[in-house]
Amino acid sequence: MISLTINEKEVTLDKPVTVLEAAKQAGIKIPTLCHHDLLKPWSGCRLCVVEVERMPRLQTACTLMAADGMVIKTESEAISNVRRGILEFLLINHPLDCPYCDKAGECELQDLVNKYGPTVGRYKEEKRKVPESHKDQIIARNTERCVMCTRCVRMCNDVQGASAISIIGRGNHSRMEPFSSESFDCEYCGNCLTVCPVGAILSRLYIHSFRPWQVDKEVGTICSYCGVGCSLVVQVRDDSIKRVIPKLGFGLNKGLLCSRGRFGYEYVNSPDRLKTPLVRKNGKLEESTWSEALSIIADKLTEIKGTSGGSAIAGIASPRCSNEDNYVLQKFMRVTCGSNNIDSLSRTGFAAAQKYFEDLLGQGITANIIDGIKNSEVVLVIGGDPTAVNPILGLSIREAARRGASIIVLGHAKGLEKFKTVQVVPPLFKEAEVLEALLVELFRAKGVRAELPFIDKEMRELSEKAAEKMDLPGFDELMKALLNSASTSIVLGMDLIQRTNGHRSLFGVAGITYLLEARLYLLSERPNEQGLIDAGCVPDMLPGGRPMNIPDFKSKFEAAWNGPIPDDDGLTLFEIIEGIKNRNIKALYVMGENPVFNLPGGPFLKDIFGNLDLLVVQDIFLTETAEIADVVLPALGWAEKSGTYTNLERRIQLQKQAVKTSRGMEDWRILSEISGRMGQKMGYLETDDIMREMAKVSPLYADLTYDEIGKGDCLWPYHGKPLRGEMNEVPPVVDAEKDYKADFYLAPEKLLFHSGTLSRKSPALMKICPEPTLKMSAASAGKLGLKEGDRVQFSTTAGSSEAPVSIDESIKDNRVFLSNNFQGSGVMDLLSFSIDEVTKAFGIEGCEVEIKKHGIKA
Amino acid sequence: MENFLLRNIENPNSADINEYLKVGGYKNLTKSLGMKPKDIIEEVKKSGLRGRGGAGFPAAMKWNFATADPKFPKYLLCNADEGEPGTFKDRPILEKNPHLLIEGMVISGYALGSEYGYIYLRGEYPQAKDILNEAIKQAYEKKYLGDDILGKGVKFHLSVYQGAGAYICGEETALIESIEGKKGQPRSKPPFPVNVGAWSMPTIVNNVETLSNVPYIMEIGGDAYSNIGSKDCPGPKLFSVSGYVEKPGVYELPMGISLRDIIYKHAGGIKDSKKLKAVIPGGISTPVLPADGIDCAMDFVSMPKAGSMLGSGAVIVLDESVCMVRVAYRALKFFEHESCGKCVPCREGTDWLRKILERIENGKGSEGDIYLLSDVAGLISGRTFCPLGDGAAGVVTGMIKHFRNEFEEHIKNKKCVVS
Ligand SMILES: Cc1cc2nc3c(=O)[nH]c(=O)nc-3n(C[C@H](O)[C@H](O)[C@H](O)COP(=O)(O)O)c2cc1C
Ligand code: SF4
Ligand code: SF4
Ligand code: SF4
Ligand code: FES
Repeated sequence: MISLTINEKEVTLDKPVTVLEAAKQAGIKIPTLCHHDLLKPWSGCRLCVVEVERMPRLQTACTLMAADGMVIKTESEAISNVRRGILEFLLINHPLDCPYCDKAGECELQDLVNKYGPTVGRYKEEKRKVPESHKDQIIARNTERCVMCTRCVRMCNDVQGASAISIIGRGNHSRMEPFSSESFDCEYCGNCLTVCPVGAILSRLYIHSFRPWQVDKEVGTICSYCGVGCSLVVQVRDDSIKRVIPKLGFGLNKGLLCSRGRFGYEYVNSPDRLKTPLVRKNGKLEESTWSEALSIIADKLTEIKGTSGGSAIAGIASPRCSNEDNYVLQKFMRVTCGSNNIDSLSRTGFAAAQKYFEDLLGQGITANIIDGIKNSEVVLVIGGDPTAVNPILGLSIREAARRGASIIVLGHAKGLEKFKTVQVVPPLFKEAEVLEALLVELFRAKGVRAELPFIDKEMRELSEKAAEKMDLPGFDELMKALLNSASTSIVLGMDLIQRTNGHRSLFGVAGITYLLEARLYLLSERPNEQGLIDAGCVPDMLPGGRPMNIPDFKSKFEAAWNGPIPDDDGLTLFEIIEGIKNRNIKALYVMGENPVFNLPGGPFLKDIFGNLDLLVVQDIFLTETAEIADVVLPALGWAEKSGTYTNLERRIQLQKQAVKTSRGMEDWRILSEISGRMGQKMGYLETDDIMREMAKVSPLYADLTYDEIGKGDCLWPYHGKPLRGEMNEVPPVVDAEKDYKADFYLAPEKLLFHSGTLSRKSPALMKICPEPTLKMSAASAGKLGLKEGDRVQFSTTAGSSEAPVSIDESIKDNRVFLSNNFQGSGVMDLLSFSIDEVTKAFGIEGCEVEIKKHGIKA
Repeated sequence: MENFLLRNIENPNSADINEYLKVGGYKNLTKSLGMKPKDIIEEVKKSGLRGRGGAGFPAAMKWNFATADPKFPKYLLCNADEGEPGTFKDRPILEKNPHLLIEGMVISGYALGSEYGYIYLRGEYPQAKDILNEAIKQAYEKKYLGDDILGKGVKFHLSVYQGAGAYICGEETALIESIEGKKGQPRSKPPFPVNVGAWSMPTIVNNVETLSNVPYIMEIGGDAYSNIGSKDCPGPKLFSVSGYVEKPGVYELPMGISLRDIIYKHAGGIKDSKKLKAVIPGGISTPVLPADGIDCAMDFVSMPKAGSMLGSGAVIVLDESVCMVRVAYRALKFFEHESCGKCVPCREGTDWLRKILERIENGKGSEGDIYLLSDVAGLISGRTFCPLGDGAAGVVTGMIKHFRNEFEEHIKNKKCVVS
């Protein structure tokens, strides 16, 4: 216990903090400028000086640790003199262009000068002149306004870990500048903008468009892009989004954001938004009315259900829609349409892995707090780049590295290049073998854990079968690190799951997790992949993860829903597609998803979707799938409606309406309208009604309310009881030995600056990353005689495309990577695939690709 | 007093290891390696050796802090940045007597439990770099450096790291940042380098001259050393004398010698028999003394009483032909140029002072400027992150205190008293 006196007030502290923090706890404000709560102290501005008894000089409160018995004064004549002097110094070279500066009104310098500053200027000479930099398309930089507090630099280096900017030059000639000179070559998280106290760096997305005091309202909500679910604040004026900013210290992201969350909001107001329902007439989609469109759907679904039965209808749920939307969709499918054929594209990754792990290791095994990663001793990163897929989770890994953790990358992860301790590169498409070998070695060293005997047994069998120890650079180091680690986090990306035999890798990961009692994190590209599972958008489980095949559960739901649920097992995603191909499925209802673009084999899908009697797409844009639909329904998007989302750590959070629009309807409302027209009234007036029902019927959500969720720490297992049929046998591995002898293989890449097809409607993200590139290692480029930026044509058996080459140092094998975000050049169209027997996800390894320099005839 | 630090430097080959060995070089190392490390520190403590880099911090006290820290490895950094204007006292050691420094560093490293030493060398000393590197090579060959020094199982490795010309990198924490490859700017203290220094490890930073005194202490013993020169801060001291004297140069003299004696007895008095006007006694950062203020003992304890500081012992002598406004302006031009920019008062204040002085010097000063100068200096003094800013303010305050009339002359009559 430390006690000290600040301004004659007794302050007691239970842990050592700075005098600044101690004063804050006592409700005493000390002015600061270079200090920021997210950053380490700097002590450059000298505004926070205080008098400390028995210390000769004034001391800076932001660096001085509070000590027992200190007697401190935070205000005095001498202190005021210093502060006035400092502010006078800061103003001598400051342009004083407040009337024109977009920071005015929320500028720390302006506020400080108002309160503590001098009233007249005594500086007679020329001010320092630095022209404003117009080069960067996102960040407006005006270094004349810079007070050189280095907050942006410390943020970029010490928190974001991008190390893209610096204070260049010395003394009064220094200026903040990106290493890339005029424009920024960085991760565009914009976290530097958050901490800049003045108008030296500003987001171009809003400058000259409004003044901070003109905001009508600020709505605290969560991001729409990925499975992290960052908290942020939407600033609204005249029902349009003016700016998205983080809220300091708030939410799991604690005031940090990534490029998508901060700059990706403009899609909401995109002119391309769907505004009215569209109905296909004479082969063409034409504008229609809600009543016509809804009736067409209701009539057609009723007809199909009557003639072919409910099982001829299938639905695809959306990881971008809320729990409420997805809950209503599965209820609509099961009760109104009479079909258990409800699945989602999460089947191709997150949902598949999530189910596999929960079946093996128990429900909630992936429900781990992201913030916990930073305290790990070892972080094992497999099958994806967390800093691109889930950037804020990626920051926790970087922080773990700073705190001395070993970061082990199996495969490659560009965003961890500067942070990794070891990179182990498995032989091409042999990740499963490497994981198995690792598991065997760990098992040999650790022995059985004797909690889940069937897993122990499987591991024993594996280790008896296993041959010599794996001879792979870095493997021993990886082993040693894992064996010595008292606290391990495993971060798993989807690349490993999307393999013909993906479940073999999953067993490896499950075994390692089990043996080391590690925390397991599944990367999640979309904001509600976990939520749609919990809402029941999987063919074999009712809401709350209740297995369909347990009659008791089923009858309880039937009673609550006023209707029978079919007995037959529903179909998974690819079984639905198979059904469409065989004409067993006649109607497909797609909510907020774009299967034609997001699944491999797009042209084939487009083709067979022609078999359908009814294809309904409910979306905010006319996607590739919507383009071929019979009826297209405009939905409301992020910030236009409210609902809950469940992030990858299984935290349930509230996404709130910020703007009102008549552009479309909530997804759940559309469904309940159709349901009513089909004779099954749902009776929801607002989203609360749905949440209330979910809290009643889903044991997982027992008694949850918006009030509780709104507080932000609604964590697994909520009030619910985890319960669900579990595996007691490990599914067998059916392996087809294959050689990979081709020169190059094509694989999908996840981009930091994009997310699905949504981000291409966000001008800012399109400016940062305007076109796809074909990423490859320096060795591959060398082999092809290519350099950065060369345009190439490339083709697989499924199709061909072209793009400029980009060399990526983190890639160490002969795979080349293409993203799946840009119109007309998604990687998925070029991939051939097979289906994993256990996870039912697609496998896309070994897709040979030929690459030619553009313009060179073969 | 017989030269020790500058022993043998008249010999044109003094930097060669064989010449050094001829005058008894490295015998103090042999002797020291026969002692316990803590006894060496005890000897240094008895000697009363104070750091020669400017602050005069007791060397043994710093060493004890570092050895008390249980973390390893520990780094021994030799501060050879020598950037203070007027200072060139380390240069003869670096260029003429490099083995003395190496010997001092190996003994110190052994005493401190440090196996890695670096010499952080001023960017503008290219010859010294080559000479040091050659000397280090010779020392490795003769096993005075390496993994098994003189077969005693003692390990010490040494290399030279050259700065890029920033004065602030002479400040020990900025030096550490720089050696880590970062921009040279001082760090917050605490933690002190002795606990968290280079690469976050315990680090001892000592000046060239400080470390070069260590073999001498081992040679004659701490007690005998403590009897040389001033009682409170004993030992031989190098003074670099420049400006308007007959014989500018580096002099090895006992600590506490009077400033008058340095100028008149050793440096041959004022050049061309002109009149002395002022002396800057310890490098540009130390306050100026008027001609009648030079009867003071040159040591760390006495100089503050005389209104200045010993600093690096760089005596800059100014005669009657010198314009003090111009001196102040030149000094501030230096400080403004060298301010690292970390803290507001130094970064903005030195620039402002320079601009006001430039104005006055060019006959464009106006009434109130002297007050403004003192006031701005006051806004800097005591408020900066590191002593560089204080030094800059001190120059202005000192000049106005003693030579106010010259400033007034410039402002009122738009001319200089000396021209
Ligand atoms: C602005 C500034 C510049 C300095 N320059 C030097 C220098 O060039 N050489 C040096 O030895 N010490 C210099 N110092 C002092 C060092 O910070 C440090 O006190 C010294 O290296 C410690 O060595 P010592 O104890 O042996 O004197 C400087 C200090 C400041 C504040
Ligand atoms: S740009 Fe802003 S945050 Fe960065 S140093 Fe300048 S004032 Fe500080
Ligand atoms: S990490 Fe994910 S949730 Fe957070 S801001 Fe980025 S895209 Fe949004
Ligand atoms: S006083 Fe401040 S700006 Fe000047 S050199 Fe020291 S830290 Fe840098
Ligand atoms: S806030 Fe403490 S020095 Fe800037």
